[in-house]
Amino acid sequence: MSGTAPTHGHSRTLFWAAAALSVLMFLPMAWVLVLSVTENEALSRGTEAAFSGPYTLKNYTDIAGNSGVFRWFANSLVVAVGQTIGVLILASLAGYAFGRLEWPGRRLVFVIVLFGLAVPEQAVIIPRHQIFSTLNLHNTYIALILPGLSLPFGVFLMTQFFRAIPPEIDEAAALDNASRWRIFWKVLLPLTLPAQATLGIFTFLFAWNDYWWPLISATDKDMYTLTVGIASSQVNFAQTEGLGFLAAQAVFAALPVLIVYIIFQKHVVTAVSGGAVK
Amino acid sequence: MSASIDIHHLTKRFGALTVLDDISLAIEDGEFVVFLGPSGCGKSTLLRMIAGLEAVNEGEIALGGRRIDTLPPGERGVAMVFQSYALYPHMTVRQNMAFGLENVGTPRDEIARRTDAAAKVLEIDHLLERKPQMLSGGQRQRVAIGRAIVKEPRAFLFDEPLSNLDAALRGRTRLELAQLHQRLGTTMIFVTHDQVEAMTLADRIVVMHDRRIEQIGTPMEIYQRPATKFVAGFVGAPAMSMLPLSGVTRGPLGARLEVAGVGHIDSAVTLPEGFATQGASIGIRAEDTRPDAGADTGADRGTGAGPDMNTGSNTGSGPNTGPGSLPLTVDVIERLGDRTLLHGHLPDGTVLVAQDTGRSQVAPGQVVPVGVDPHAVHVFDAAGRAHHAGEVR
Repeated sequence: MSGTAPTHGHSRTLFWAAAALSVLMFLPMAWVLVLSVTENEALSRGTEAAFSGPYTLKNYTDIAGNSGVFRWFANSLVVAVGQTIGVLILASLAGYAFGRLEWPGRRLVFVIVLFGLAVPEQAVIIPRHQIFSTLNLHNTYIALILPGLSLPFGVFLMTQFFRAIPPEIDEAAALDNASRWRIFWKVLLPLTLPAQATLGIFTFLFAWNDYWWPLISATDKDMYTLTVGIASSQVNFAQTEGLGFLAAQAVFAALPVLIVYIIFQKHVVTAVSGGAVK
Repeated sequence: MSASIDIHHLTKRFGALTVLDDISLAIEDGEFVVFLGPSGCGKSTLLRMIAGLEAVNEGEIALGGRRIDTLPPGERGVAMVFQSYALYPHMTVRQNMAFGLENVGTPRDEIARRTDAAAKVLEIDHLLERKPQMLSGGQRQRVAIGRAIVKEPRAFLFDEPLSNLDAALRGRTRLELAQLHQRLGTTMIFVTHDQVEAMTLADRIVVMHDRRIEQIGTPMEIYQRPATKFVAGFVGAPAMSMLPLSGVTRGPLGARLEVAGVGHIDSAVTLPEGFATQGASIGIRAEDTRPDAGADTGADRGTGAGPDMNTGSNTGSGPNTGPGSLPLTVDVIERLGDRTLLHGHLPDGTVLVAQDTGRSQVAPGQVVPVGVDPHAVHVFDAAGRAHHAGEVR
């Protein structure tokens, strides 16, 4: 911190404002973390036990004791990874087509895709349920993954990124005798890595945290995702009687997302700060 | 194999806008040709059409006798160096240079041999494992040239490759490009709006303006015998001064050119009978003038009005004007070290730039009689066509 301390008044104010906001953001997380290692019984008498203990890891071992959790964890992983890979492939190809190629109707189709941003999930959930029901696809990975692949935001992000790459790069590659596929695969796609990382993390996060669609589609306990599974295992009065266990479950569910973010943090910062091709 | 480039009746349109209109041009094998012109004249478009980056609407392009305008860019046998260099940012210098060869299935050892050889010639062999963002502008430029060289193309195309370099580096790279051309002997086309680059590099310059070719010629032909008023004004710094021509009579060497309200200039130009002076103008380059500051500055002047200078009887209006010269009221003095440019105006308001020695003593506001070399006077008719005196010297 001291190494990056601001040197003049304006940025000093900014620094302290950002520090205060960071603490504010971190407090609830720290609260959940402390609750997760506090004994349930102590917490049921009052949450001030979080400050006095006794502390335990029993809440976490209780998670491991629940036979369904690892299955749900695996399901969540399959769905989140599947959806992330699918979105990256589709959004990259669509972004290349919208941002780089000339074809009739390109603008119109792009606008139609962007309209997808304005349609809330709630508006399509019943017809979607009916389609998957008719196709007899409920309680399959396909049903859990497929709806998440149509991500207009991803197409939009990748299109903008492809557009930002100077056209001379393609032209130089064309003069270098590269085929259109090779230009896409070897030259342009590597340049979109920061955007891919951002989109990948957002998609993974969304898929991992998704609750509503898995709740509707996965009725078989073996097909639950972690969010649905954890919610189903909560008994009545969990908020008052099993607060530590609840907090431990929340921490457990958040861990993979945290790990993914830490690994790709650099790319996310690059992409969000607008560093395309320099 | 010959690498002559033949362009026949080429036309390019973007929608309703015609950017190149019926261009025909023949470039010899091994020639260094520069497309020179102001922004928007179509020179880059023409180069991009040769490269295959722009489609041809009408006409044909042939390289070494084989039609290429129907081929994709990679199969034309040309290599291009872009203004922005267009290096692949995620690849190392070596990978950048090797990419084109990998695409055509060149064996690895051959790729390595050519890459190393080109890198050595361009003195970038110590940068081969670096990525473009770790290089300076000049180094990137060399990599871009290296990427072109390793392909061993039949023709090199350069699209304003020096414009992103600072002045010193631009001068050095210009020289190196000339040496590269001498060593390789490959046909090269170079696009620029910089006349110094054009003059120093070109075997022949193609001056373009407003969708058409204005003139094709050697640098000295373009400079000394500009075919049109546009070429005369565009090539040369400072720009050629243009005086309105009001009448023509017979003089001792050729046409005596009248400038209303100023006087006359004796020229060695022979004008056709009945030459229409309406809209016509007289072109004079600064270095073809001899300002005579008279007794004030005579001591340190190397040149005066020599035997070749105008000796007619002009109407002088200032104290220092003498016979056979234009009375120039000096407004601004521009010192360039070896010479001094006198920017001023004539009694009719026409702007004229004269050139004096480096140690000129002329001061702003002074009226200086300016003599003009009659053999270096140019006359342009109303349509802009030029009439010159004598031969190219």
